[in-house]
Amino acid sequence: MNIVGLDALVFGVDDVADCARYLIDYGLTPVDTGPDGGRFEGLDGTAILLARRDDPSLPPPLPTASTLRKTIYGVAEAATLDAIAAELGRDRAVRWLADGSLESVDDLGFALGFRVSTPRPLTFAAEAANAPGVSAQRPVNALGVDTNAPPPKPRSLSHVVYFVPDVAKAEAFYADRLGFVTTDRFTKVGPFMRPAGCRDHHTLFMIQTPPFLQGCEHFTFHMGGPTEVLAAGRRMVELGYQSFWGPGRHIFGSNWFWYFNSPFGCHVEYDADMDHHDADWVAREAEANADSSQVFLFQARELWFPSGPPPAKTA
Amino acid sequence: MDGAPQALHPVPLCRVDELPPNGARGFDPLGQGRDALFVVRRGDTLRAYRNRCPHWPGAPMAWRKDGYLSPDGGHIVCYAHGARFDIDTGDCVHGPCPGQSLQSLPLIRRADGLLLVPRDALDLRTAS
Repeated sequence: MNIVGLDALVFGVDDVADCARYLIDYGLTPVDTGPDGGRFEGLDGTAILLARRDDPSLPPPLPTASTLRKTIYGVAEAATLDAIAAELGRDRAVRWLADGSLESVDDLGFALGFRVSTPRPLTFAAEAANAPGVSAQRPVNALGVDTNAPPPKPRSLSHVVYFVPDVAKAEAFYADRLGFVTTDRFTKVGPFMRPAGCRDHHTLFMIQTPPFLQGCEHFTFHMGGPTEVLAAGRRMVELGYQSFWGPGRHIFGSNWFWYFNSPFGCHVEYDADMDHHDADWVAREAEANADSSQVFLFQARELWFPSGPPPAKTA
Repeated sequence: MDGAPQALHPVPLCRVDELPPNGARGFDPLGQGRDALFVVRRGDTLRAYRNRCPHWPGAPMAWRKDGYLSPDGGHIVCYAHGARFDIDTGDCVHGPCPGQSLQSLPLIRRADGLLLVPRDALDLRTAS
């Protein structure tokens, strides 16, 4: 099952206008959008698909507060779609949609889509850092900070995180039926998983919760580097959005993070610089807690300058 | 507001007519850098709750400044994980924290329309 990564996430919401504004402010590009929603793309074309909650074309919602309606994976070739259809068709309904994609469900009830997808190749550089001991990554006289640069854009849909009522069952489904690999694991919480055709540390992370919480905890797009995570997050704060966690840097995956509340009723994250893994990697396991979740954490504050008025004299 | 509020004195929030007639507004009366509480006004009815979802300790609830209500204005929503709460009681009616409630705060409404919250109700030890 050569699934290459996330292609799109589909949400059904009450207020399309608020969610559309949020996705645009987050940095996605609206494509074919209107009052009933539409497609909001990262730079490589991976996307959030927005629709009204009562849109009849959407798979049915989970019986919880979750607004996530479908997770669509990209595959490189049509033969992979046939293989997925054959595999999942052994014990569940699989539908071919008019757009050529497949639709089915996982063992927990999350709707899944699969389509042949060719994300646009990106030709941007990653964030370049000069450091003693290595040859310069930026040419001489090239600046690291451009205060006139437009806001950084999310590049590619990175990962989705599910709350699941039976994490062992869920992990077994993605491993045994769809060929995902577990890269790391939080004990009694859940696995970080990547599909076989993707080297990112995770495109899927699952968290064991009570059934009434089942749904999407967050989704994330990759940014070009830590500076872009901080700049984009800073801009979200300035636009009045509520920071939830971050900025900081995770340990499992090594990705920089910054999470925000959203009108989707889940968190929306920026990440950057995630580890890549292959078959040589041996999964780690740790207890999930503050020390194992982040190597450091900061919180935004208003911009400030140290040389304000002189300090009052102290005795 | 100049300086820190004095202990035991009620802390002013705003005038009632500065609240949206049917909506919510968050307040940071102690200058903690984020809204500690929010007030929901529906006509002449006011409710105040701590900005802290019972589902997740310390979780701020709005999705943007003052964004505490559902799009139809019928519920308080935690936009961290989608919990919905009854506006009058603060009880969770859907989502991640069944059986739990928002922490309500008493409001003082002066004759001139100024709204205040008792200083001790903002107890920093439990404030998010």
